Amino acid sequence: MIVPYSHVLILASIIFILGAACAVARRNLIMILVGVEIMLNAAALVFISASLFWQKLPGQAFVIFLFAVAAAEVATGLALIVHIQRRTGSVISDDYNHMKG
Amino acid sequence: MDIILLLMLLFPLAGAVLNAVSAGRLPRRLSGNVASMAVLGSLIMAIAGFILLGERTLVVSLVDWVSVENFSASFAFLYNPLAAIMALMVTFVSFLIHLYSVSFMREDKDYCRYFAYLNLFVFSMLVITLADNLLFFYLGWEGVGFCSYALIGFWYQDPEKAAAGRKAFVVTRIGDVAFGIAIALSFFLFGSLSLTYIYGHLGGLTQVSATVLGLLLLWGAMGKSAQLPLTVWLPDAMAGPTPVSALIHAATMVTAGAYLLIRLFPVVRLSPLALAAIAGVGALTTMYGSLSALGQRDIKKVLAYSTISQVGYMVLAVGAADIIGSMFHLLSHALFKSLLFMCAGYVIQALDDEHDIFRMGNLRRLLPHIYWPFLIGALCLSAFPMIGGFFSKDRILLATFLGPGIIYKVFWAMALLAAFLTPLYTFRMFFAVFQERPGGRSAEEIKPVPPFMAYILWPLAILAFCDGLLNLPFGPGKDWLARYFSVLAGAVVALPAPPGYELSMSVGSGAVILAVLLFTYVLYRPPGPKFSAPRLEAFLFEGLYLDKLYYSVFVVPYERLARFWWQTVDEGGIDRGLDGTAQLFAMLSRGLGYWATGRLSTYVKMLLVGLTVFFSALAVRWYLW
Repeated sequence: MIVPYSHVLILASIIFILGAACAVARRNLIMILVGVEIMLNAAALVFISASLFWQKLPGQAFVIFLFAVAAAEVATGLALIVHIQRRTGSVISDDYNHMKG
Repeated sequence: MDIILLLMLLFPLAGAVLNAVSAGRLPRRLSGNVASMAVLGSLIMAIAGFILLGERTLVVSLVDWVSVENFSASFAFLYNPLAAIMALMVTFVSFLIHLYSVSFMREDKDYCRYFAYLNLFVFSMLVITLADNLLFFYLGWEGVGFCSYALIGFWYQDPEKAAAGRKAFVVTRIGDVAFGIAIALSFFLFGSLSLTYIYGHLGGLTQVSATVLGLLLLWGAMGKSAQLPLTVWLPDAMAGPTPVSALIHAATMVTAGAYLLIRLFPVVRLSPLALAAIAGVGALTTMYGSLSALGQRDIKKVLAYSTISQVGYMVLAVGAADIIGSMFHLLSHALFKSLLFMCAGYVIQALDDEHDIFRMGNLRRLLPHIYWPFLIGALCLSAFPMIGGFFSKDRILLATFLGPGIIYKVFWAMALLAAFLTPLYTFRMFFAVFQERPGGRSAEEIKPVPPFMAYILWPLAILAFCDGLLNLPFGPGKDWLARYFSVLAGAVVALPAPPGYELSMSVGSGAVILAVLLFTYVLYRPPGPKFSAPRLEAFLFEGLYLDKLYYSVFVVPYERLARFWWQTVDEGGIDRGLDGTAQLFAMLSRGLGYWATGRLSTYVKMLLVGLTVFFSALAVRWYLW
């Protein structure tokens, strides 16, 4: 491994925090979805580097699973967003406060 | 024979079912005709059974009803001369009243319900008449009680009438409870509920248990027969349609109590104390009924109190150990009292639902059809010499006079006084209704009534008039009824009176009754009563304030207690406690509700913060350890 393991972990943490910040700070549902994707990719990066570091294959297999999950999630997530956009004309998350107690 | 008895019961039951399941869609003519024909079928079966029976006693068991270990009750009939005569009377009177009802209810829209109840009543009454098993008897007993309740409150839209029905039901229930206990007690004492079995196993009965059983039966009979102290429901029961009053509250159901005592006389007679109690209740009730009848203004209530009084004679006769006299009077009373009630119904309809006898008058001229039947009924009720109730009432008076001990002489005096009051109240009513007087009715005020309703009364009138022929004290048919009943246990065919007693008592009471009639005429002949005693009249009018007494002693405290449980305990305690608990939870949930903003971004933020704290804690802990 050329790059030290700790550097990869720091990079992954930065990407994860950026993704989390995006998901938390933005109100647009699409941007929240993008944030979630970024967080997923940060996690995938950790898996890959760990796999290289310990020379074990399951880490890479997990990443393939992760891509599949991410793809499915984006597909359903986007479909839902399109649907509610058509129904209510809004993709702003704060407009959907029907669960208020 | 069993097929005859079965058919006698099934005809009215089928009529009732047919009328009931049609849900009021049967055409008017068909409904009434089905009901009448069903009872006619019963009547024919009763006649056939009477002819075939002779003087035998038959026990016919159909099927087992309840059978648990050593307890069993079956649908069984005890068909003896007593039941045969009673069945004849019930079906005959019922048949005429059904025919009368077809005319009487010609404008009522609920005719199907009416005829269904009426047929069901006939069925239940025949069950009482025929049953061998006490439980089966009780089935009929409750059946007539229910039909009575349903028919008194027949016009249930009127709250007063519905209340009268409820009152009748509740008051008779007080008696029914005692009868229920008596049934349980007889099972305990005899190990069987069959009347025939009980008749055959009286040997082991102790004096105490016979007395208890006798008193319980008397109490049961009090409820149904409206004897003191449970009389108060009968005058109110007059809220029902008049044919119902004629059938249920004059001819049949109110005599069921007396019939019960006659049926169980072999048990009752074992206890002199029970007999004396029965006679006492009968004598007091007779007096009470006659006195109260004197003060009434409502034509039906006069007749109702008179019924109470006459049923009192029957009970008195049982107490004087003369069941033949009791049954004889039951028969004559059924005939003349249903006749009088139906006459009253005719008058009431002709005067557009007027019940007050002092607002009638002139009806002899205006309603000639009804004059003679009414007169015959009134004379029979008054025990006018040689007709109708004269012989039966005389026999009862004589039997009471011959009863053991001084106490029976007292009962005799009371019954005699009531007998003299009878023509007084009867003809007070009769003169007020029929005589010409100023302020009476005029021809324009009379509504047309089908004359059929008057013609149908003639068979009853003739039978009531000739009723004495059943049991003449002399002549060719001497004591026919008594000899026919001689197979009954405890029946005394000829009362053991010293020679001359019977004749002198008959002549004496006949003469006094004639004198009272004359006195009544002088007192009440047109234009009206010759005296005025408002306090006394009010006292009699209110039925000696018995109803008011019960109201303040039982009803008012009961209502107060009910109000306490309802308003203080239920609404104030339980309901308020539950409401408070619910409010507490509502407050708690409102507090928690503030946390649920419904904003997705807040939730995500919270999730993030939470996870951060959680993982930081994990990390710190891992690092330090």
